[in-house]
Amino acid sequence: MDRGRGSPFRRLASGAVTVKFLRHLAAAVLVVAIIVGLGMLWAHASGGTGVGSGPRRAPSPEALLRLKQIKENIKTGVIRVRSDNGFDLADTGNLIRTCEIEAILAVVVITVSVIWRRRRRMRRTAARA
Amino acid sequence: MAYTLAYSLGFTGIATHEWLGIGLGVVLLVHLTLHWDWVIRTTRKLLRRGGRERFVWLVNLLLLVSMTLCIASGILISEVALPELGITLRASSFWRQMHDTTATLTLILVPIHAALDWRWIVGVARRFAAWRPGRSR
Repeated sequence: MDRGRGSPFRRLASGAVTVKFLRHLAAAVLVVAIIVGLGMLWAHASGGTGVGSGPRRAPSPEALLRLKQIKENIKTGVIRVRSDNGFDLADTGNLIRTCEIEAILAVVVITVSVIWRRRRRMRRTAARA
Repeated sequence: MAYTLAYSLGFTGIATHEWLGIGLGVVLLVHLTLHWDWVIRTTRKLLRRGGRERFVWLVNLLLLVSMTLCIASGILISEVALPELGITLRASSFWRQMHDTTATLTLILVPIHAALDWRWIVGVARRFAAWRPGRSR
């Protein structure tokens, strides 16, 4: 008994869409893998792979001193460390700042795009007239 | 919007930041898959197209590279998500630096990418708002 929904042509079309999607997904995964591979090569070339086991350089005296200062600051409460239990609603300033940066950039691009489009339209109208 | 939230580490906390980043990786793959036809079409016609199309293509390419490296480096320096899955990697300063740089670059490129296609986004949003279940057109 045929329990499939729709005409055979429709089912065939749906199958073709699935195959197309999978083909495109494979291509997208390949592109992403190439980018990650190039990043790995870059890390390897700069000698900073650091993933897995390998010899580690001993920290410099300055870094150790800075670490000691940070630890003291945490103890005295100069640096506040919060437990990570999800969203910190007290730090919405952080989110608002990110939103502001994104909104400003988007507004600038949209304004430029609208001006550019208007100018092009005016040029076309002038050429026709 | 998800990227804006993920970038605000102080607000989300490290665990949400990491899981959101991994989720964004999946979204990036699906987004790239759904627009693969556009990628091929625009890349083929790149030499014949005008300045705007080339600029959009370049922004999209930069965003793809930047976001991919940001997510990959984020996974490599993960402190919560990967250890929760039983995977522990020793992160290097290279990947930390890479994560910081690509995250900032992505923060700049995401609104540019969205703003360049704002007409398309508004059109889709309008169609989505007018859509009723069970109505074909």
